[in-house]
Amino acid sequence: MIRKKWLPPLRIIGSAFEMTLRQNVYDSFIIFGVIVQPIIIALLALWMLQDQASSQAIYVIIGSGMTGLWTSLLFISGNSLNQERRRGTLETLVCLPTPLPLIIFGKNLANVIQSMSSMIVSYSLATLFFGLRFEISYPWAFVISLLLTVFSFVSFGLIISPIFLMDPGIQGWQNAMEFPVYILCGFLFPIALLPGWTTPFSYILPPYWAARALHSATTKGASLSEFALCWGMMVLLSALIGFIANKLFQRVLYKVRNDGTLGLQ
Amino acid sequence: MNAIEVEHLRRIYVTTIGVIRRSTKEIVAVDDISFQISQGELFGLLGPNGAGKTTTIKMLTTLLIPTSGTARVLGNDIVRDAKHIRPVIGFIFGGERGLYWRLSAIDNLRYFSSLYHVEPEVSKKRIPYLLELVGLKDRGNEKIEGYSRGMKQRLHIARALLHDPKVLFLDEPTLGLDPVGAREIRQTISDLQAEKKTILLTTHYMFEADALCQRVAVINHGLIVALDSPEGLKKQVKDLSVIELEVFGIPQRVLGQLRSISSVDAVSIENRDQKQLLQIHSPHGSEALSEIMTCLKGLRVGKVAVREPTLEDAYVRLVRDTK
Repeated sequence: MIRKKWLPPLRIIGSAFEMTLRQNVYDSFIIFGVIVQPIIIALLALWMLQDQASSQAIYVIIGSGMTGLWTSLLFISGNSLNQERRRGTLETLVCLPTPLPLIIFGKNLANVIQSMSSMIVSYSLATLFFGLRFEISYPWAFVISLLLTVFSFVSFGLIISPIFLMDPGIQGWQNAMEFPVYILCGFLFPIALLPGWTTPFSYILPPYWAARALHSATTKGASLSEFALCWGMMVLLSALIGFIANKLFQRVLYKVRNDGTLGLQ
Repeated sequence: MNAIEVEHLRRIYVTTIGVIRRSTKEIVAVDDISFQISQGELFGLLGPNGAGKTTTIKMLTTLLIPTSGTARVLGNDIVRDAKHIRPVIGFIFGGERGLYWRLSAIDNLRYFSSLYHVEPEVSKKRIPYLLELVGLKDRGNEKIEGYSRGMKQRLHIARALLHDPKVLFLDEPTLGLDPVGAREIRQTISDLQAEKKTILLTTHYMFEADALCQRVAVINHGLIVALDSPEGLKKQVKDLSVIELEVFGIPQRVLGQLRSISSVDAVSIENRDQKQLLQIHSPHGSEALSEIMTCLKGLRVGKVAVREPTLEDAYVRLVRDTK
């Protein structure tokens, strides 16, 4: 049974989750980012890999799904605080008894769960149009990896939105931040193909461990230690990011209240 | 204990100008203001645009950090104890923004009530009650994007009351509303005051402050220039008479001549369709009329009336004197 003190935060996360999803269904940019763009990426990759084994194509299913997750996180979750500012709702949210990171957590969760649909779209595309068959070698590990992927992406999103709120100039770099993560996190091909000096950058990004865990769950012969490493890194990095995000929120909210930039004039 | 205590509150905005040769400019929005509001009092903050009303409210609602001075809401410091203040206050800022337009009114209220930690069983009863209170009972399921400005404003009031706050901050709640909508909002504010809520209302509609507020502070250029009951403020201009004249196409030159008359205190003009209403403040009342009529010679003049000063006249004098 859920303890009583956890009920209000869970209710808040649930409420933010529900209202975000209800608003997103009307947003064509979001629909493009989480469905159309991953379809284009999946189509191109599947076309290139159609003569390869099915094991190669599974990279595409998971990889294109991950691209949808990252795009959603970077653009939708990243913009969420600035969007609230433009709507004039940020002042209301800050003046609530609820901590703002909790609301953003619920919003990010909605965006990430919604983006999972891109993985389903890619899967349907590969099976229906390219006749590829996939097997998930370790279904239990796949489910755990998927849950931890959601958690690590949601946590990662908590650090992006306050940075964009603090300095909208950084938001101008959003487009430049999209593809490097696709590559560094091995969404579409293994990072072993990249120069060695890029590996440390991959290791500090939670999406890399998420992609590695999901790829391992679909590959025969993956060891338990491999899963343990990926899951452990996801939990560790998410906890670290959560801690930094909390501090960042405090500083950013103090700064915007001090500068008088919480609302648009 | 006072509900709100403000002591020497000051807020300076710093802006930067230029790209290569950057320089900073300081704008004093609120300049050393002090006042107290008793529990259950409806207190008005009057002032022209840019006087510092919204900045004061934003500081008191913990959204803006003061440059210096202190303020307490129900005994809690606005900087140190912000998290204790937020659950007990409600606020609305004038305008249409601040709501989720793609959601219905009920969904907006449902969302905010969970963020205000209102128990679901309570909010199930409170949301229909509030929608009825603000006259939106039959439109609650519609998306807000189809609402008129007045309806959005009324929904803001419902949102601010979700958690039954003890103190309410209303920043120009009737701004831009049609007369009927504005009257309904004033009635709602009056009802809230009857419930013994402490209300800080900002407005630049004098009749609104006169009708609703127990005490009024007039603020201009960030300074409080007067603080009294509406009756008390009117007494400050008791010596004045207001001469109102309907004129048609009065030139600026004539206005200048009127202002230079020694027995004239202030001259203001208001456009009303094809005519203009000329308001002249004078301590000499109808005795000044002959000099005024001499200045207006050759111009078409309609109705002429001499009346007692209102709160608006007191406000005009106070604001003019601090320019």
